[in-house]
Formats: sequence, C-alpha cells, structure tokens
Amino acid sequence: MGIKELLSQYGDQYISALFTTWKLTFFAFAIAFVIGVIVTVMRISPVKPLRIFAEFYVQIFRNIPGASLLMVLVYALPYLDVLLSYFTCVLIAASLIPAAFCSEYLMAGINTIGTGQIEAARSLGLTFMQIIRRVVIPQALRSSVLPLTNLLVATMLTTALASQVPMNPRDLTGLVAHINTHAVGGVTAFLISALMYCATAVVIGQIGNRIDRKVRILR
Amino acid sequence: MPEKTIGTGSNDIPVIQLKHVDKHFGSLHVLKDISLSVKKGEVVVIIGPSGSGKSTLCRTINRLETIDSGEILIEGVKMPQEGKELARLRAQIGMVFQSFNLFAHKTIIDNVILGPMDVLHKSRKEAKEEAMQLLKRVGVDSQAEKVPAQLSGGQQQRVAIARSLAMHPKAILFDEPTSALDPEMIGEVLDVMTELAREGMTMLVVTHEMNFARRVASRVIFMDGGSIIEENTPDEFFSHPKSQRAQDFLNSIKDH
Repeated sequence: MGIKELLSQYGDQYISALFTTWKLTFFAFAIAFVIGVIVTVMRISPVKPLRIFAEFYVQIFRNIPGASLLMVLVYALPYLDVLLSYFTCVLIAASLIPAAFCSEYLMAGINTIGTGQIEAARSLGLTFMQIIRRVVIPQALRSSVLPLTNLLVATMLTTALASQVPMNPRDLTGLVAHINTHAVGGVTAFLISALMYCATAVVIGQIGNRIDRKVRILR
Repeated sequence: MPEKTIGTGSNDIPVIQLKHVDKHFGSLHVLKDISLSVKKGEVVVIIGPSGSGKSTLCRTINRLETIDSGEILIEGVKMPQEGKELARLRAQIGMVFQSFNLFAHKTIIDNVILGPMDVLHKSRKEAKEEAMQLLKRVGVDSQAEKVPAQLSGGQQQRVAIARSLAMHPKAILFDEPTSALDPEMIGEVLDVMTELAREGMTMLVVTHEMNFARRVASRVIFMDGGSIIEENTPDEFFSHPKSQRAQDFLNSIKDH
C-alpha cells in the first residue's frame, strides 16, 4: 500500500488516533505531574515513613517496564475485582511511571536551592508547608522546565502502550498495528504515525524552550 | 545576676537570654556552658577567632541549630522544640546571614513582603507600602522590581536587612553580615546597621569588623574554643583586654 492509498483509506482514523494519543498524553502527564509533586514533597518532608514510602514509589516505578505494569493492570487487577477500562489502564500505566521521573527531576531542581534560602524562610517564621509552597516548589519547577518538557515527550511515547490492548478508539501506534494486521501497510503505515509523533514532539519542545527562557532563575 | 522570671512585669526581662547552653558537633564541643543576655536596645557584638563557636551561638538562638542542654529564652519564653509554635517565635527574631540568602526566584519587593503576607497575614497592598519604605530606608528602593542576582552583594545584604525589619522583630541576629562582601561594599551595610542601632534596635552581631564593634557595641563578647572568655564594654575590651587569649587575638588582627 502506498502512502496515498493509506491516507485515503485510513486518513480519518489517523486523525482520530492522533487525538487519542494527545488525550492520553495530556491526562497522563497531568496526573504524573500531580503525583510527582506530591511524592517530591513527601521525599523532603520531616516525617520518616512518608520519606520511605516516596522513595519506595520512585524506585519501583522508575524501574518497572511500562508493558509489565500495563499487564498487571489489565490481567491481574480483575482478580481483585477491580475491572478498569483499557483506556484507564493505559492512562494509569503511562502516568505512574513518568510520575517517578517527574519527582527525580524536581529533586534535582530542589538540590539547586541553597540551604541558606530555606534557613532564611525558617527564620522569617514560615512553616514547613509554606516554605515548600513559596520557596521550594516554585524554584524547583522553574529550574526543571527542560527536563519536564522531555518528560512530556517521553510520556507521549509511553502512551504507545495502548497498542498492546484492544483499546477503542486506537492510538497512533495501535492504529499502525491494526492496519498491518488487516492490510500490508508496512513501514509506510508507521511512517505516518511517526511523523505525527515527531511533529507533536517538536511543538512541545519549542513551547518548553520558550517557557524555560521566560521563567529561568538568574543566579 | 538574679534570674528574672516571666510575669514580673519588669521591663528588664532580656529580649534574648541563654542559660548554660551546651552543644556538640559529634565529638566536638562547640558551645561550652554559654550564658548571656541581651536587653532591649542593646547591641551585643560577638568577636573571636574562626571556629570559636560564635556563628553557631548566633544560629542556636532562632534554633537553626539545636542545642544539647541549657535554655534559650525570648522575652522570657522558652524556645519550643518544633512546629507552629517554633515558627511563631522565630518570626519575632530577625536574622541576617553572611550569604544574604534572598529568595532567588522572587523580586526584591516580593522578598520583603513574603514574611509580612504569609506570617503576619497582612494584605499585599499594606505589606508593599511598608516594604517600599523599608527599601528606601536601606537605599535600594530603585531596585524593587529586580531579582537578587541583578544586585550587588552590598545591595542584597541591605535588602536582607529590610526583609528582617519588615517582620518588626524584637531583635535581629547578624551572622557575619559583611564577611562575604567586597571591601567597598562593607561600609554601606555597616552604615545601615549603625543607623538601626541608633534607632534602638536590639541586635546581636557576629562580626570581624572591629571598628564597628568599637563604635556601635554596647557590649563586646569575646569567644574562643566554644566558651565566652570575656565580656566588657568596647572601650574596656579593646584598650584593656583582661584575658591572654583576647590580647593574642587583638594583636593578631592589629597587624593588618
């Protein structure tokens, strides 16, 4: 099948698959970000059990293959009477893992903040949570815009996990798998998806760079 | 000296009082049975060789360093261990650091209003008006919208002083405030501190600036090896140091 044939026959499906990938990416990253921030706050909290739990979370989800996690969610959870839709399973897998990386990047950002600033905040009478909210997190976020941009791209690529389950509507990779089992799309079928992934990544990268230039902290 | 207790209604309850404070860093005994008090309006200057424990002493007062034994009282109230109560008491004691420690992501004005807004719950407008006056007082009001990295060290340290003042502290601790500054900027910071002292601010200053100590201090405390060796008026201390160690110290810095 040539590229023209593919587009004429599957064009609409490519568009809808692109939107599905965007949707998964957006929600997965949003969830990953929220979990990442919470886990990071736990990792620097003065409460030891919280620190241990958060370290444990990062170690587990940084080191588990996405496909394995998805397998657990799809095949093991039903034994516990938890039956989630395929979309939800993919979303969870594609957010729990990036959340661990998000926390790692934020920790790296936090390490650039001098202890002196924390001491200054403490001596002003700010409480732990106020220091986190006003001093630590804003600086950590602003100095990790670029790593977080990369994480957003990586999250998008992780959503290709959706191709491993019969999700409807399909994502970009799922669609390629579908086309290649019903027709002979070959590499060309993947090329179209690849271009869509690339185009999205380029746009994300540009936006990330722009935000970074705007919020970067002068030191 | 008889110990004052809370509730005597007396005006001479010290703003800061340390009683038999001891602290170790591992096997190192950094503070040895330190007792001192700073009354309202006093400027107490702590001098001594590096490693004598003077910075550590300064930092224990608002509990940036914990102590092993003894008591630290702020207007007769004992410093609590942790939590909200500690934060509340800390807010009453200002602190100015050697390395300024301004919040790098905030503008100068936002550095000054953070405490008043978050801790004293003032409105942004009210906090900002007062902050501008304070910045004017320390001579950096024209820099209000810049970020710390755009200011010189001397300007940053003056902002740090304004940030402390914005909390209306009962006393301000200065932990070697001019040690990280280029020589030409030391004067502008010392001028602001001298002005504060004249206006009656209670201050505890750890410094190597002997001229400042001589001119401004109500009392000089000389520390060495974690102990207070000598405590006297600046005139007496600098012209007739009693202890051998103070004499040696003063001789060693006289040469340059």
